[in-house]
Amino acid sequence: METEPDEYHDCFMQDGVLLKQAPSSHMTALNTIGTLYIYEVTRSGESCNKKLLLEWKQNDITVDSDVQYQEWAVVNTVQKRIRTLSENMPEHHNRSKSLKINFDEIKSFKVCNKNRQLTFYDGTSERICGFLFQHGNCEHLVGMLKTILKVGVSRRDKQIYVVYDSNSPEFQELNRSFAALNLKNEDNSFWHMFKHFKENPYEGSLGAFAKVTNFVYRSVEGSDPDILSRDELYSSITELDDGVPHSGGEYEVINALPQLPRRKEFPRCNPLTEEQWRSQFNSLGQLEDVDSIKNLIFRGGVSPTIRKEVWKFLLDYFPWDSTDLDRQQLINKKNEEYYVMKLQWKSISQKQEDNFSDYAQRKCQVIKDVNRTDRTLEFYAGDNNINIQTLGDILMTYVMYNFDLGYVQGMSDLLSPILWLMQDENDSFWCFVGFMEKVMSNFDIDQAGMKEQLTQLRVLLSFIDPVLANYLEKHDCGNMFFCFRWLLVWFKRELNQDDILRFWEVLWTGYPCHNFHLLVSVAILEHESEALMENDNGFTEILKYINELSGKLNMELMLNKAEGIYNQIKEADHLTDSVRSILGLPLIGTKNRGSEEQSSQQESPFESPDLSTPRTEPCCSVDNVRISPDEIAFEKSISSSFL
Amino acid sequence: MAKTYDYLFKLLLIGDSGVGKTCVLFRFSEDAFNTTFISTIGIDFKIRTIDLDGKKIKLQIWDTAGQERFRTITTAYYRGAMGIMLVYDITNEKSFENIKNWIRNIEENASADVEKMLLGNKCELEEKRQVSRERGEQLAIEYGIKFIETSAKASIRVEEAFFTLARDIKTKMEKKLKEASNPPKGGHQLRASEPQKKPTSWLSRCTLL
Repeated sequence: METEPDEYHDCFMQDGVLLKQAPSSHMTALNTIGTLYIYEVTRSGESCNKKLLLEWKQNDITVDSDVQYQEWAVVNTVQKRIRTLSENMPEHHNRSKSLKINFDEIKSFKVCNKNRQLTFYDGTSERICGFLFQHGNCEHLVGMLKTILKVGVSRRDKQIYVVYDSNSPEFQELNRSFAALNLKNEDNSFWHMFKHFKENPYEGSLGAFAKVTNFVYRSVEGSDPDILSRDELYSSITELDDGVPHSGGEYEVINALPQLPRRKEFPRCNPLTEEQWRSQFNSLGQLEDVDSIKNLIFRGGVSPTIRKEVWKFLLDYFPWDSTDLDRQQLINKKNEEYYVMKLQWKSISQKQEDNFSDYAQRKCQVIKDVNRTDRTLEFYAGDNNINIQTLGDILMTYVMYNFDLGYVQGMSDLLSPILWLMQDENDSFWCFVGFMEKVMSNFDIDQAGMKEQLTQLRVLLSFIDPVLANYLEKHDCGNMFFCFRWLLVWFKRELNQDDILRFWEVLWTGYPCHNFHLLVSVAILEHESEALMENDNGFTEILKYINELSGKLNMELMLNKAEGIYNQIKEADHLTDSVRSILGLPLIGTKNRGSEEQSSQQESPFESPDLSTPRTEPCCSVDNVRISPDEIAFEKSISSSFL
Repeated sequence: MAKTYDYLFKLLLIGDSGVGKTCVLFRFSEDAFNTTFISTIGIDFKIRTIDLDGKKIKLQIWDTAGQERFRTITTAYYRGAMGIMLVYDITNEKSFENIKNWIRNIEENASADVEKMLLGNKCELEEKRQVSRERGEQLAIEYGIKFIETSAKASIRVEEAFFTLARDIKTKMEKKLKEASNPPKGGHQLRASEPQKKPTSWLSRCTLL
């Protein structure tokens, strides 16, 4: 005679469950309402002999059950009351009104009909039974099942969950795969994968799952299946669930990824006024509170009346802490310096020039370019324009100032607004020198600076808008090359003269972080993301769209959005050092930057043969980043929750 | 939706900075000339659909920055090109001398069977000419390519240049297609009739619509 169970611990119950499919023994119970239980059975006297069972029991009054139990039709997952045999057991003996399912029998289950229908299968394409959840849905039950069974979403149908039997080939395969992935070693590609995961949640997840799928469905040869103990595997799989109700196939995985904080609005302010500016100088003519001045400029720019003066500070011609006297002396000194350099090239004879091709080449390029720089502005318009002449003279003198860099296309665009404002050759030159200091790497001979910026832009975009970043990657736009013009000349070709003056002075403050212009780019891309991803656009369409944004951008809105993005990034829990280093935020060692750099290099967007040239060092080298034991633990936890 | 064209040809304009690549393109795509032009930063393209022997051909013409400094970036776009216009300025000796460097660039980066054409631009500036027409012709013969002198400003032979290049591409393409559908000994596909040493041929990627 069968030993009667001693105790039942209810783990779960849900009412309002219609039996839709059942074995022939339970035909009479079909389409009747009942309650689903999961309970733990402990056999008498053997506390270690516990078994879980799933049971559906027909309600006594089926017709009225809907009305009668409406209120508690929700779910009870936590209550663990002890039922004694004497109280409830009679129901268990009524075989046709109760259906018990042993968890061992379940090989897969399918969730469909908006999570209202759940069907269990025994692995031979035969149904064990099916239930329709009339009140609420089966999300909680599925959540429970996932803590009891080791399940994974089917490759063929994301509504189907496959149960991994510890003896099944799949499970063994999975076990071996984990072993092959060598989870213990934090320095291998597996960890890099998860670092990338953290960095680019969307792309990362796609890539990572593709890898896991490969591992799971392909045999792993020559690997030792015992490197990882089964218990560890179990726990890592169990942690996957993490109490998150699973409702839509794999979507919850995305939801479980770190979320950005809510974006805040940062309205632009009025420009720094002459009064505010003057009031900041002490009796020696020194600025008292440079930070607050810079902040005001960042927030609203500079009033046109004082722009000429303020720019000299912003462009590091005048030191921020200089006195009136310092500046007077500086002007004289710099003036002299300028004219000495100008004389150097002005005194080169035609014969010398003919024998000095490096020089001749630079001069030729300068002349070509000044003649096509902002000629629509009145200041530069017309034949034999003196300002064009001056523009050329300054650029030629800059060639003498920095001969190795020389003249690169785009520089005339950077100088033009400065000369337009200053209307003074010497001042313009030194302000231009200051601007060039800020953007020097844009003009690297091997374009390394531009390539690095485009890569950084991609990293930032992936952090803010992984959907768009992933789309671009999939459509041959991962190199971000369509943003080249934006970055090379800081939006000079995209904005009108008034806007560019305002935009540049805001950027020159260096507030609120390094590379703010990249965040502006992210803001625009995000703003345009719908249009960019329309009609399966590829590189050609995207480049055209971006080029045609010229003259249509709302500069103040871009700055506003970019600042909102900056604050989102700064406050994000999952902020990594690779993002921090781009924005010049203090590094805290959350990420091995080496892996990031490596992966970017592998997917180098530029495929021309010249690209074998070494990339410039990232702002943050691997050496700067230490990985603490805590961090390893953190990354491991991330990895286990994603697997 | 009905296709508005039969073939799509991707063309590329290269040559020294300031030889008039953008102006040639502007003349061809908009039939206009702007005296207040600007230097090209990065890369851009224009579209014009032409009728050629009863076929509608959509020309997607890419314009690149000319300065040496940007070559590492612009050469990435050579590969997909079916035709390349090599442009020099007849009033600038150096730009003509540099054509051989541009040719080398093509050989290194473009597909082997890309159609090439030499363009001597600014031919309206006869009084400033530094490169004779004969030298242009001679260079073209040397490289086995066609040559034409144009003026974007005065609208001289720009149409002719693009139509010639497009026709040459079309002829080459149709010849290959014919070979593919009527192989000499039968049974061979396009890929097989294509010499194996030219795996990067644009013909294998060419868009047929």
